[in-house]
Amino acid sequence: MIEIPLAVFVLLIAPVAALLLGFFILRPAKPDWTHWPILASCALVCVASLALAARVYTGWGIDATIYTWMAAGNWGVPFGVRVDGLSASMLLMVSLVGALIQVYAVGYMKGDPGFSRFFLYFHMFYLAMIGLLLSNNYVQFYLFWEMVGVASYLLIGFWYEKEAPRKAAMQAFLTNRVGDFGLMLAVLILLSLFHGNTRFAVVFPLITAVNPSLIALVGLLLFWAATAKSAQFPLYFWLPDAMEGPTPVSALMHAATMVTAGIFLLVRSWPLIAAIGNLPELIGAVGAITAIGAAIIAATKTDLKRILAYSTVSHLGLMAFALGLGQVAPAMFHLITHGFFKAVLFLCVGNIAHALGKGSVEVCDVGGVAKKMPVTFACFSVGAISLAGLWPFAGFYSKDAILKAALHHGGMAAAAGLLIETLSAFYIFRMLFLTFLGPRTEQKGPGRAQEPGLMMRVPIVLLSLGALSAGWFFSHFSTMLSSGWPLRDGVAPLPEFSRTTLAAATAAAALGVLAAYWLTMMRPAWDWRWRRDHPHWEEIFQSDFGWKEVVRFFVHWFGGLAHKIGRDWDEKAWDGFIESTPSVARRLGEAGSALASGLINDYLWWMLAGTSLLLYAVIR
Amino acid sequence: MTGAIWGACGVLFASGLILMVFRRQLLAMLLGLELMINAANIALVYYSSLFADAETMSVALLIIAVAAAEAVIGLSLIIQLQRSARPTDSASLRELFG
Repeated sequence: MIEIPLAVFVLLIAPVAALLLGFFILRPAKPDWTHWPILASCALVCVASLALAARVYTGWGIDATIYTWMAAGNWGVPFGVRVDGLSASMLLMVSLVGALIQVYAVGYMKGDPGFSRFFLYFHMFYLAMIGLLLSNNYVQFYLFWEMVGVASYLLIGFWYEKEAPRKAAMQAFLTNRVGDFGLMLAVLILLSLFHGNTRFAVVFPLITAVNPSLIALVGLLLFWAATAKSAQFPLYFWLPDAMEGPTPVSALMHAATMVTAGIFLLVRSWPLIAAIGNLPELIGAVGAITAIGAAIIAATKTDLKRILAYSTVSHLGLMAFALGLGQVAPAMFHLITHGFFKAVLFLCVGNIAHALGKGSVEVCDVGGVAKKMPVTFACFSVGAISLAGLWPFAGFYSKDAILKAALHHGGMAAAAGLLIETLSAFYIFRMLFLTFLGPRTEQKGPGRAQEPGLMMRVPIVLLSLGALSAGWFFSHFSTMLSSGWPLRDGVAPLPEFSRTTLAAATAAAALGVLAAYWLTMMRPAWDWRWRRDHPHWEEIFQSDFGWKEVVRFFVHWFGGLAHKIGRDWDEKAWDGFIESTPSVARRLGEAGSALASGLINDYLWWMLAGTSLLLYAVIR
Repeated sequence: MTGAIWGACGVLFASGLILMVFRRQLLAMLLGLELMINAANIALVYYSSLFADAETMSVALLIIAVAAAEAVIGLSLIIQLQRSARPTDSASLRELFG
């Protein structure tokens, strides 16, 4: 029996206990206090994940099954934990960023009638992600994967009395179902291939020993699942619409708990995926397409949260792109730095929305906010510079590692890498300049906006420190990630820096920043003018280069098909069958009751026949 | 000897069964029942004496007691029917009709 450290249990028990306490005791008695056990649980989770990360850093790791539910032979639903470099490093980021966002949410959601409900959902989201990261087998992974999906559905539709959040929640859930189905099929295939044992430690060494075409199918299905959860083309469209939820939800979903799950699935299954020829190339190509397309669309959006949403899609695409180049460590590292700076950016937008008293903020609602909200401005700048990938901020280190691999690969990959770099610098600085500087004549200006309370400022400042400094730990991260890795030859460490990459990355990012400065500050009306002069371009961007139309057509067609099947199959075939059952039952009953004549002698005949049969069976 | 005993038992049991199944007169059916029980009992007694087994002999006694008790219940049911002026014919007892 392997000894499981207390910290692992704390990670799972603290959130569950906080949820139970909050739901059964505080919600009925004192709903305004629901956040206290939850914040305490966040603190415990952070301490536990720090302790685990410290141990993993020194080379420790664990993979143990705690308990098997419904065991039947080899089959069962095992519940285990796996703490290795991958899960511990991501756990550290998720627990810290998630905890800070929950502190922020206390300030943001204060006074909302659903305050206690919000915190219970929110913490369930957090718990689901922690459980997902700790899973040691695919079945358990699938369980938490679905729990993440349910929690996101509840939170996106948190303001359910309005129509848009309800629709967005349904869209997010259904789109995710399309992907989840892929994961379910993959898990079922793995279950049958490995006779019910889907532990990562069992599956990966045996990849080459089983049917290669089925394994290839599993790899494709896993990637399909990741495209839904991690918002990759073709299933990315739910994420921008998921902005209808409260801002802390968006922050948590984008930075820590939801969209990163898909990338985590790919990295976790990397030994499987890397063994399938051409699948990494496919992932890389899809990632590059997503990254470039979403970055262009992000540069044309006017809703602040939507700009950030497309930016997340673009960055997830960049991670998939890095994975496609075989760069697992840079992809994971970018996932972690992205978690920090994207959380800052979202929470800063949350501050502005909170100050203006609005759910969603358009570019024309703001302008010149920097004067009224200097702390928010400073934090947003840190996040933006980090996202653009300028030295020495966190984003620089992770993007640089990816870019280096792209340049090394050369050709299209190098061009794509540099284009993504320039575009992301452009859209985030466009957003920065449009929001915080000015105001321009088309904008309303900051009005009476002011900084929010301490509860909302402190988490942002702490997170922006993370967005500033997370990159400095790249060598530590590299050491940690390779500890307990399931690959036999280990994971390649993060590459060292080279002058050419640094120069190319900085030049590309600077180009983006300068272009943004020129188009928003030197010619302040540009953003409004091109929309007016070229309405068909605006239409193209609004429909995501026509993809939204394709999706709409597909949904329409599929809905029509379902309707047809529903009417024809349900009303005629199925209902006909149902309605015919009573008369069949009646006839059967009449035939049966004819046997029961009531005459004792007839019964005796039956008894004789039965006894004879029984005797025959015994004697034979 | 065994063959003769089996023959006697078989004849008794078969005639009891025929009485039970074909006759509708309740008294005759009861008689058939007694015949069948005693057919089995004869075989039991024969084999218990063959193997000099006292335990089986006691089971034969037990069966006689059970047969007596069963005859009492059966006869009292028939008497009840007679008192209520219903025919003691099984064809008239259709309470079990489905």
